[in-house]
Amino acid sequence: MNRILAAAVAAAFMVTSCALAVAAPGKQSSTTLTGAGSTFVDPLVQQWVPAVAQAYGYELQYSPIGSGGGVAAVSSRTVDFGASDAPLSRDQFGACKGCVQIPWALSATSVIYNVQGVRNLLHMNGATLAKIFSGAITSWNDPAIRKLNKGVALPDLKIATVHRSDNSGTTFNFTDFLSSASPQWRSKIGTGVAVSWPGGTGSRGSSGVAATVAQTPGAIGYVDVAYALKSRLTYFAMQNRSGKFATPGLKGILAAASSDQKPDGTNALSIVDPPKKYPLAYPISTFTYVIVPLQSQKAPELKKFLFWAVTKGQKAGPRLLFQPIPKPVLVVAEKAIARIHA
Amino acid sequence: MSTHSLTKATLRAEGLPRRRAVNRLMELTAWLAAAVAVAILGVVVWSVARRGAGALDLDLLTKPPVPFDFGSTPSGLSNAFAGSLVIVGLATLMALPVGVLVAIYVNEFARPWVRTAVGLALDVLNGIPAIVIGIFVFGLFVTGHGQSGYAAAFALACLMLPLVARSTIEVLALVPGSLREASLGLGVPRWRTTLSIVLPQTVGGIVTGTVLAVARVAGETAPILFTSAIVGPQLHWDPHHALQTVPVAIFELSESPDPSDHARAWAAALVLLLFILCTSLAARRLAARSRAGIVSSR
Amino acid sequence: MEALEPPRLAVRRFRAGDLSLQTVAGAAALAAAFLVCLIAYTIVRDAKPAWSKDGLAFVTRDAWDPVKHVYGAGSFLFGTAVTSLVALALAAPLALGVALFLTELAPRRLRGPVTALVETLAAIPSVVIGLWGILVLGPILRDHVEPALHSTLGFIPLFGPPASTGSSVFTAIVVLTIMILPIVASISRELFLGVPGELKEGALALGTTRWEMVRGVMFPYARGGIAAALILGLGRAVGEAIAVTQVIGSSVGIHWNLFATGDTLASKIAASYQGAEDGAQVASLVYLALILLVFSLVMNVSAQLIVRRVARRQGIGAARA
Repeated sequence: MNRILAAAVAAAFMVTSCALAVAAPGKQSSTTLTGAGSTFVDPLVQQWVPAVAQAYGYELQYSPIGSGGGVAAVSSRTVDFGASDAPLSRDQFGACKGCVQIPWALSATSVIYNVQGVRNLLHMNGATLAKIFSGAITSWNDPAIRKLNKGVALPDLKIATVHRSDNSGTTFNFTDFLSSASPQWRSKIGTGVAVSWPGGTGSRGSSGVAATVAQTPGAIGYVDVAYALKSRLTYFAMQNRSGKFATPGLKGILAAASSDQKPDGTNALSIVDPPKKYPLAYPISTFTYVIVPLQSQKAPELKKFLFWAVTKGQKAGPRLLFQPIPKPVLVVAEKAIARIHA
Repeated sequence: MSTHSLTKATLRAEGLPRRRAVNRLMELTAWLAAAVAVAILGVVVWSVARRGAGALDLDLLTKPPVPFDFGSTPSGLSNAFAGSLVIVGLATLMALPVGVLVAIYVNEFARPWVRTAVGLALDVLNGIPAIVIGIFVFGLFVTGHGQSGYAAAFALACLMLPLVARSTIEVLALVPGSLREASLGLGVPRWRTTLSIVLPQTVGGIVTGTVLAVARVAGETAPILFTSAIVGPQLHWDPHHALQTVPVAIFELSESPDPSDHARAWAAALVLLLFILCTSLAARRLAARSRAGIVSSR
Repeated sequence: MEALEPPRLAVRRFRAGDLSLQTVAGAAALAAAFLVCLIAYTIVRDAKPAWSKDGLAFVTRDAWDPVKHVYGAGSFLFGTAVTSLVALALAAPLALGVALFLTELAPRRLRGPVTALVETLAAIPSVVIGLWGILVLGPILRDHVEPALHSTLGFIPLFGPPASTGSSVFTAIVVLTIMILPIVASISRELFLGVPGELKEGALALGTTRWEMVRGVMFPYARGGIAAALILGLGRAVGEAIAVTQVIGSSVGIHWNLFATGDTLASKIAASYQGAEDGAQVASLVYLALILLVFSLVMNVSAQLIVRRVARRQGIGAARA
């Protein structure tokens, strides 16, 4: 009797799942646009999901698996679009087989820290940060840090550096800055979406880094500034080339963006560590890009979505410290979007 | 050991007090080991139960997640529970018939060397780490086509197959040969004998094996990471899309900085744990009962 | 129940049905065997760009530098070896102790519940243990256990300065121990139950203490099976990706400090595969998977061979509790 009952339950379970799977084709057969990549731009894209559904009825599915993953996914056409903060190299363009790179958002990487009782916006510069992440400076009351923060009582606490364990455009942005500020970093470790970190803890995704820093006294990590805001983490004011300590706010990001208004042939821009004449610039700012195949079955929907994203979609940005993209860049972006065809 | 007369003097001469002391020590060690094991289990289950129960409410099952929200709007994991149901259900549908057929072949038709070969293949399949299966299915089904619930279900089916096949083989072997011979002697064809006479005896064992396999794969994360992890927060039942699953959701939430995410992770872990525990216990009760049934019917 | 039919038609019908079932079932068996070969082939093929370029030097190279395109499995092989072997060393005595307790020492009333508890621990999914590891175990180890061990035993390189985050090789070892323990314990328990009563009673009748009986009769009798159980547990630890990647801290490099971060083969694949962006990195990760596959195949097959030899020796159908 029990056997029959068990068999019946199992059969019912199987039949139900099968029926549900076959008979229910999801919600209304609205167009689904799938994307994956940068965790940096994830806060903004998640704001777009309900807005796009309301404006066009498209279902936007975005998965923050890291910039490297996004490039790989769109190259193998596993998704409709990819998102990367690091501009594509020539090899990557080749592997993607006819993709276009379009700047669609602008924000900054904040360097977060967790030290009890210490105020927000401590001062830091690139050279010292490079020494910290390469293991040359190991304690919070090191003279180099104290020199930048005169009058602040820094504890004798070990620094725990936290980096991204996955391929990350945020890592690219951060190491780009460190390479620009420190020749030793540039020659020994360099810039990349993943580098050979000398020590420290690796965490997956920006939220992983934010979580690790939040739970570890003495930790320093790097995440998109929206994560720092939402997690209520303290972050550094970074010294730029003009000597001022800039904060990753809208003004600082806009100032940095004015240092490069001309996207190159592949629509890439570099606004890291801008020259002296931008005193307000936050030196770890970056554009972030959407990577789309030029030819796609979902071309009309993609175009509508992307046109919306670079214009109306930017309005959702400032609250999360995404600066709306400047006009010259917008023009280039719209030209690129127009090239997408079915 | 020679047989001395068992007087205290003789025993003491052979160092009995020391041997008794060693024996006592070892018994205490074994007690201690059991206590440590029980304590570990208790701590883990208690952690999950306490934190999970605090966060468990109907929202978890009915509301979709609201990412990057830090707990300001009520959210849940409805898409993960739906996806897990669909994917595990599909995996069972894929693995069960194949597993039973393999077992029938091995037990009823195969020559000895074929039996060993297939047995070896099943053991090898059982020992392949789940993450390698994930890479395999990714290379086979996902590149060029996109992630989907079907790919994830196939990966889980690869993990379930050896479990289902092995337990069906064991249970088929328990059916007495006399039953088969009696049926064949009465003129019933071989295939009819197998399907109508032998197989019904083993339903209990097959169900047990399947339920244990389900319990095992319900919590698998690694193969799903590469086959059905690029998902949005919307609720979906269609396996042509990638679907969120409970273990992957727990994995992602566990690395979040948001305490409300942690709460949902504990609650989902509790639900998953309860499901796996109930199915495992039910399967073992069934196994004992069905084995007794077959043995007693001999 | 068939009515008697003319033999000619009956035989033909029998053959068609029999043949169909045999063909379908045979196809299923063939598919299962083919699946295994396909998995091996796919992994070898996808790793080809890496092993054709680097060959076996990859296996020992301690580097993982995506900027300079230099990859190697050395650091992860070391991490896998350390975490799995230490976890096995910690779990084995505990598991054998539990098994002995359940078969020899426990009062009858306790046996059922404790057995059920041990098997429940085996059923907990690795992601849940990883969740517990990140949020509960990691902070406890970081704040209390590791500093205490470091200050008392810090002269041993194994117990160096703790990483500040709670993610470390040591945390991964504890997590793996918790996962191996129930497997080895339940297999050992069944082995000990299978030791013939006459052998045990004979030894006791000769005046041995219970421990001497265990040492002299049960362990030698069951040693093949225990070896297989240990190998199976080791295989489980080697293949565990999710719980390890949640708590180990993902860093490259060979070092002896258990309290620092590290990485293993399976954990590296889980962390990096989804985001691997260029062909060389993907191929290197699949090469890691190939090494992992070879390891687990060797261990699983040897365990199964030992088990089969033991089963043949002891007779199939030993009484189960």
